[in-house]
Amino acid sequence: MFAAVAWKWGSWLWRLSSDDRRRILKGIPSLATLQAVGETVSESLLHRRIFRVNPLLGYMHMSLAFGWFLLISVGWIETVSYMGFRWVPLQGHVFFKYFATGLPHKPVFEFTMDLLLLFVLSGVALAWGKRLYSRAMGMRRTTRHAWGDRIALSALWFIFPARLAAESLTAALYGGGGFLTGSLGAALDRVADPALLGHAATAAWWFYSCCLGLFFVGLPFSRYMHIFTEIPLIFLRRYRLRSGEKEGAFDRFQIEACSRCGICIDPCQLQQTLGIDDVQSVYFLRDRRYGRLRLATANNCLMCGRCQVKCPVGIDLNTLRLNSRDTMRNIPDERRYEYLKGLDRSQGAGKVGYFAGCMTLLTPRTLRAMERIFGAAGEEVWWADREGGVCCGRPLKLSGETDSARKMVQYNTDLFRKHGITTLVTSCPICLKVFREDYDLPGIEVLHHSEYILRLIRSGRLPVIYGAERYTYHDPCELGRGSGIYDEPRAVIEAVGELLEPASTREHALCCGSSVANTAISDGQQLRIAQAVVQELEATGAETIVTACPLCKKALVRGAKGEVRDLAEIVAAHIR
Amino acid sequence: MAAINFGYTISKPRAIDIDRNNLRKSDEILHEMPELQACIGCGSCTAVCTAGNLTSFNFRKVHTLVRRGEYEGAYEEMNKCMLCGKCRLVCPRGINTRGVAMLIKRKLGDF
Repeated sequence: MFAAVAWKWGSWLWRLSSDDRRRILKGIPSLATLQAVGETVSESLLHRRIFRVNPLLGYMHMSLAFGWFLLISVGWIETVSYMGFRWVPLQGHVFFKYFATGLPHKPVFEFTMDLLLLFVLSGVALAWGKRLYSRAMGMRRTTRHAWGDRIALSALWFIFPARLAAESLTAALYGGGGFLTGSLGAALDRVADPALLGHAATAAWWFYSCCLGLFFVGLPFSRYMHIFTEIPLIFLRRYRLRSGEKEGAFDRFQIEACSRCGICIDPCQLQQTLGIDDVQSVYFLRDRRYGRLRLATANNCLMCGRCQVKCPVGIDLNTLRLNSRDTMRNIPDERRYEYLKGLDRSQGAGKVGYFAGCMTLLTPRTLRAMERIFGAAGEEVWWADREGGVCCGRPLKLSGETDSARKMVQYNTDLFRKHGITTLVTSCPICLKVFREDYDLPGIEVLHHSEYILRLIRSGRLPVIYGAERYTYHDPCELGRGSGIYDEPRAVIEAVGELLEPASTREHALCCGSSVANTAISDGQQLRIAQAVVQELEATGAETIVTACPLCKKALVRGAKGEVRDLAEIVAAHIR
Repeated sequence: MAAINFGYTISKPRAIDIDRNNLRKSDEILHEMPELQACIGCGSCTAVCTAGNLTSFNFRKVHTLVRRGEYEGAYEEMNKCMLCGKCRLVCPRGINTRGVAMLIKRKLGDF
C-alpha cells in the first residue's frame, strides 16, 4: 500500500510544472506550512467542514478518522511502553494483543483503547445506519458505489467489529481488557467453554487481519485513497497551486482526494429537479480517475458551483470539469475567427467603457436602462459593442474550446487598450468573470454594473427615489459564487425598494437552469429548473424578481407569473 | 454570329439530390439531436446571431444544408460561431442550437 501511494504521489509531483515546483519550494519555509498542518488536523482528522453540513454526518466521519488515528497512535504508545520503551514499528501494535497475552495489565491503556474502540464503533454503527436512512444525516441521496469501493467499504466496516470480537475473545481466554473488551470477555468466559473460545479467538483474529489486509491493499485503488491524498492536497493548496484550463499533474491530487462522500449530489439541481443522477461531481471525478469519462458526463453540468461550495475537501470541481472538456473538445485551429481582424464597431470616446455582451444585446431593456443611468450620471461612455461586437469568449471556454476562446480574449483586450479606457463596465456576469480571470487588462478596472451603479448612488452622482415596491433577488451563479459579488446588487435594490430574501440565497442560491455551460439538457428541462427557481423566488411574496444577469432574466421570465427585471431597469425607473 | 453579351448568364441549376448525397453524417446528427427536425426555418437564430452580425455566417442555412447532406464548407462556416447561445434563447421550437452547433463541428471535423 505504501509503495502504491508513494509511487502515485511521486509521479504526480514529478509531472508538476516548473512554476508549480517553484511555488512549493517557496512555500515550504513559509507560514503556509504551519497553516497547512492546522488545516490537516481540522479537516483530515476532525472533518470540521462536514460538521457544517450536518453534525451527525460530521461526527460519523470524525469518529472514523480521528478515532482510528488515535487508536493507532495510542496503541503504538501502549506497545512501546510494554516493550520497555524500545523503538517499535508503527504496525507493531496490530496483533500485539494476540501475541503478547502474558504481559502484566496496564488498566489506563486498556481503558483508553476500549474507549477509542467504542468511539470508532459508534461511527461504524452510524455508517450502517446511514445506509438504511441517510436523511437522518441531512443527505437525501448517497453515492452509488463501484464494486471496488464496495469491497473496501465492507472491509472497513468489518475491521472494527472484528477487532472487538478478537480482543474480547482474547480477554476471555487470558483475562485483561478494559470496560468493553474485558467485560465482554468475562461474559463470554462464563457462557462458553475454553476450547471453543480458543478456536473462536483464532478465527476472529484471522478475520480481523483479513479485513485489515483487504482494506489496505484496496486503499490506493479505491475511494479510500482520499485518506492520504487530502494531506498533500492541503499543503499544495496552501502553497498556491491551482488547477488551470488545461489538465495538469496537480489535478490528480484533487481527483484522488475525493472521498465520494456524495455531499455534492443533493445540491445539484439536475438531480433535484430533473432526476439526472449519474453526472454529479462525485461520478465525474470517479470516471475521470479511472479513465472512463464520457463526453456526455463531462458536458452535462450547469457549472453553477453549488456542489463546490459544499465539497468538504474543497476540490475545485468546476475547473476540473472545464479542463476535462478542454481535453475532449479543444481543437487548435489557427484559421478560425480570421474575420475578427480589424473589426471595430465601437462608439463614443469616454474613459468609461461599457461592454453589453451578447446576452445584454438580446435584452434591450437592460441596455436602454444602462443608457439612462449613464446619461443621468453624466458619464461619457465608450460603447464597445452596442452595434454588434465580439463575444467575450467565456461560452467557448465553458464548452472546452479553450484555444478559440483565446482569440476572442485577444481581440477584446486589444480593443479595450486601443480606446484607452480606464474603467470597464459590463452588465453580464459571464463576461465579467472572464474579464477578471482571463483578460490581462492593466490600468483598466473591471466592474459589474451592480458595483458601478452602487458607486454612482453612494457618491451622489445618481440620485434615486426610494419606492414602495418589494423585490426579491436572484443571485446569478457567475456573479455570486463565480465572482463573489453578493452585497452590491442587494445594496442597490435596497436603495430603491424593499428586498426580500428567498430560501436559498447567496452562496447557496439556485441556478436559473439556462447556464451556457450546459449543452446537454433540453429546452423543456431548462424550463423545469427555471420554474422550480421561480417558485422559490415568488414564495417570498415580492411583486418583482430582480436579477443582475441578462441570461438569468431570460430564463426566469419563462417560468414567472410576475415581473422579472434586471437591476439596471429598476434603478432607471427610480432616477429622481 | 457571335452572341451579344448582355451581362447576364444563365445560372447553373441548383438542386439538392438527396438520393445522391451521402446522408450518413446527417443521419448521425439527427439521431443524436432529433429535435433539429422540429425546426420550422423561421430564422430567429440567424437574426440574433453575434457572428452573423459580423460576417455572412447563417446558422439556419448551414444546418439546413447539413441535414440534406451538403457538407461542403459547412465545417468552416460553423467555425465562425462563437457559441454565445443567443440563438438557443430565441428559438421558438426550443431546439438546443448550441448543442447542434457543437455536434455539427464534431461530426464534420474530418470533412
